[in-house]
Amino acid sequence: MQEAAQLVSKVLVLNDDAEVRGHIKAFCEAHHLIPVKPQAGAALSVLKSNVDLGAIFLQETYLGEGGNAVELALAIHAIRPELPIFLRRDTQSHLDDLPDVYRGVFTAAYTIATIDELGPMIAKSIFSFQFPNALVRGITEITKSTLENQFKDVEVRTEAPYMVRDRLIYGELFTLIPLESTWCRGYMMFQTEEAPLLAYVENGRTHITRDPANFRDINHVMGEVTNLIWGAFKNRFISDEPVDWRQSQVPLIVNHQHRYISFGSEDPQLCLRYTVLDPFGKVAPLVIYQRFVFNLSWAPEKFKENEVLTDNLFESGELELF
Amino acid sequence: MAQVLVVDDSATVRNEVGDFLKKNGLDVVTAVDGRDGLDKLKADARIKLVVSDVNMPNMDGLTMAEKIRGELRNSTVNIIMLTTENTPIMKERGKAAGIKGWIVKPFKGEAVIATFKKLAEA
Repeated sequence: MQEAAQLVSKVLVLNDDAEVRGHIKAFCEAHHLIPVKPQAGAALSVLKSNVDLGAIFLQETYLGEGGNAVELALAIHAIRPELPIFLRRDTQSHLDDLPDVYRGVFTAAYTIATIDELGPMIAKSIFSFQFPNALVRGITEITKSTLENQFKDVEVRTEAPYMVRDRLIYGELFTLIPLESTWCRGYMMFQTEEAPLLAYVENGRTHITRDPANFRDINHVMGEVTNLIWGAFKNRFISDEPVDWRQSQVPLIVNHQHRYISFGSEDPQLCLRYTVLDPFGKVAPLVIYQRFVFNLSWAPEKFKENEVLTDNLFESGELELF
Repeated sequence: MAQVLVVDDSATVRNEVGDFLKKNGLDVVTAVDGRDGLDKLKADARIKLVVSDVNMPNMDGLTMAEKIRGELRNSTVNIIMLTTENTPIMKERGKAAGIKGWIVKPFKGEAVIATFKKLAEA
């Protein structure tokens, strides 16, 4: 396979023991994890506002939420069962002594002395998918360029791509489009909030001209963004080779009440976050999450970028006359 | 005034392309998919140029082009595809359907307006 991209993942760290902070920080850095540390009493609200996590690290004696840490884990697991929870214990690096009802909540236990043994488990639960560097780099280039084209006079900030286990939907608007090739089958998804997107439309920073604009108008903005990126992705990464005709499909399930979407797979998803910024400061930043869910098929060893055909020298926007 | 039909399921594209063409002295009619495009073309004999997306619901742009030449027996209107598609297979299908040209999105009006005007006034 081509060179793999070095991805990161955000993890919620619930720890109020100052003595071990350095150890946890070092472990996170070594394993490409970005710790998110809430203030005391804010764990659940931080969890609510971060819908793109890879795992949770919980101290068994954590008092941050004012109660029993294991009960806290039960509560977290009930609302975010996709997130692996790693329990840090004082002396035992196993879960055998915990009652069954609690044991099932945790992926593994560790002590500070044995924290490095979590490495393979982190790799398996969060970084089980290897993504070619060329793919990740290409996605970022295509998406940034498209956003700069579809929004007028903006700057687009990109962040390092990361792996996510969460299945929650950010914002009120999401688009979904299939991706099918010999090396991947699944979906590309965009998620964003309606209000900041509407603000860009109302301020004339898109190609939507209806005044006043409504939610259907902003649908068109994200629809075309999705379409352009999908097209560029196909042109760059998907060849004309036929895909196996025996194509499986699985239902996608959306629960609007819980803002939850399932693709039927427990595998982690590739996530990229973009922020559309107004350099004049008149319109609030617009955050857009892009996710790749290869729930049907994933064969990165077959991935390759399409060669630019020498007889296909027309750049986008130019007219090729027949 | 020369009449251009812009066919795309995205209002963003219809607005962007339509506004640009209007600013450059062309009269514009829009349609939201291939089926709507056929209806608009049947209803307005002044349309000389069709600029159409490929991937649209209800009827895609290449099927619309094939029906323009086939069912409508219109061999004179010029058809340009404006699309994200860029594969030889798609373009060959377009050529077989009698389309005049192909533009890969995003739309860059300045690069094509001179040719568009010639095709719309032909």
